[in-house]
Amino acid sequence: MLSRLALRSVQEARPFLVAVRPTSTTAVNKATERDEVNFPRRARPVEPGKVRMGFLPEEWFQFFYSKTGVTGPYMFGVGLTTFLCSKEIYVMEHEFYTGLSIFVMAVYAIKKLGPGIANYLDKEIEDIEGSWVKYRQESVEGLKQAIEDEKKAQWEAEGQKILFDAKRENVALQLEAAYRERLATVHSEVKKRLDYQLETANVKTRIEQKHMVNWIVNNVKASITPAQEAAALKQCFADLKGLAPQSA
Amino acid sequence: MMTNLFSVFDPTSSVLMLPLNWMSTFLGMMFLPMLYWAMPSRWSLLWTLITSTLHKEFKTLLGSSHFGTTLMFVSLFSLIVFNNFLGLLPYVFTSTSHLTMTLALALPLWVAFMMFGWINHTQHMFAHLVPQGTPGALMPFMVLIETISNVIRPGTLAVRLAANMIAGHLLLTLLGSTGPSLSATLISMLIIGQILLLILEAAVAVIQSYVFAVLSTLYASEVT
Repeated sequence: MLSRLALRSVQEARPFLVAVRPTSTTAVNKATERDEVNFPRRARPVEPGKVRMGFLPEEWFQFFYSKTGVTGPYMFGVGLTTFLCSKEIYVMEHEFYTGLSIFVMAVYAIKKLGPGIANYLDKEIEDIEGSWVKYRQESVEGLKQAIEDEKKAQWEAEGQKILFDAKRENVALQLEAAYRERLATVHSEVKKRLDYQLETANVKTRIEQKHMVNWIVNNVKASITPAQEAAALKQCFADLKGLAPQSA
Repeated sequence: MMTNLFSVFDPTSSVLMLPLNWMSTFLGMMFLPMLYWAMPSRWSLLWTLITSTLHKEFKTLLGSSHFGTTLMFVSLFSLIVFNNFLGLLPYVFTSTSHLTMTLALALPLWVAFMMFGWINHTQHMFAHLVPQGTPGALMPFMVLIETISNVIRPGTLAVRLAANMIAGHLLLTLLGSTGPSLSATLISMLIIGQILLLILEAAVAVIQSYVFAVLSTLYASEVT
């Protein structure tokens, strides 16, 4: 445990220097980026440190490995304990038996309750982490959706141009129709006026003619003398006689 | 080697004339989780759950009067629980089994509450000396009894904690000291007995620290 702390403190001593610098009171250039190679950012460890037999850190075994191989640390442990116990440097008195009982209790408790508690805590951590991740993801999704909606709105706005053209055409058609309608109206009005003139002229001619005919007839009638009239009648009788069938 | 039955409580295991065994008081600090990361780890989450539960408990006891007072009592609880619990481990000195330690925790708290209460809320403190619903004739005696119970409060707090710790350790020590002279089968019985005692002791450790913290909370809430 302390070895791991020692290792970690070496790693962390440097980033602390970097962390201390931004709190200086002089005017520093705050835009300098962090040197990631020499002062790497500290990563959060997700798994607890590797241990053997529950409490011995893996680093101690690695420390022994290069010199004494795999069985080295175990031999060292067994040898050390045997030495301490046999030479009575470590006296097995009442504390030892208490320690033994605690050890038995601890092993039992860890084996029995450990996984249960670990699972419960992991689930809680998952919930917390999940809620943060979910919030971030939902924000990203929301923003992406907003981008899509914006693009769609832009596309719709472009479509408005076609609508403008259609509307323009529509208006032009309407104008044309109105123009033609007015043209027809003008034509009909003018025709009406001309027809009127024609009619009045016709009527005038007709009346003149009738009047003239009447005048001529009246004059002819008036100029017929009685002698002419009698001669005409006589001629008519003679013609009739001539036409009548030769009977009788 | 035990010179006498109580030598296990002897706080004079000194190196260079410095009583280093009292450093076990700060051993609990090694167990506090490092809350550097925003995302909790298993132990930091467990610790946060425990302390937040305690905070809720103490908040209801204290009422909504003073925001942040629960901090003192929760930290008191954690100090005492770590000391009690780690004292059960072999070769770790139980500092809370000494009256010097427990009185040093209880007495300043009580004196502070009393001084604050009597100076600032004198009427209120006098009113507390007579419980609600006492018949008129009994009132003088009630005042006397309440005063005495008030005065012995630091003593009870301190002695309760120390005595519980001493009792448990004494039993374990007694059982354990017969260990070197036992045969193999009897040792297994000894281990079983000690396991049962240790379960009791672990419970007592946690409970006593909780009781200490809750009672000091109650005394604090009485004063306001």
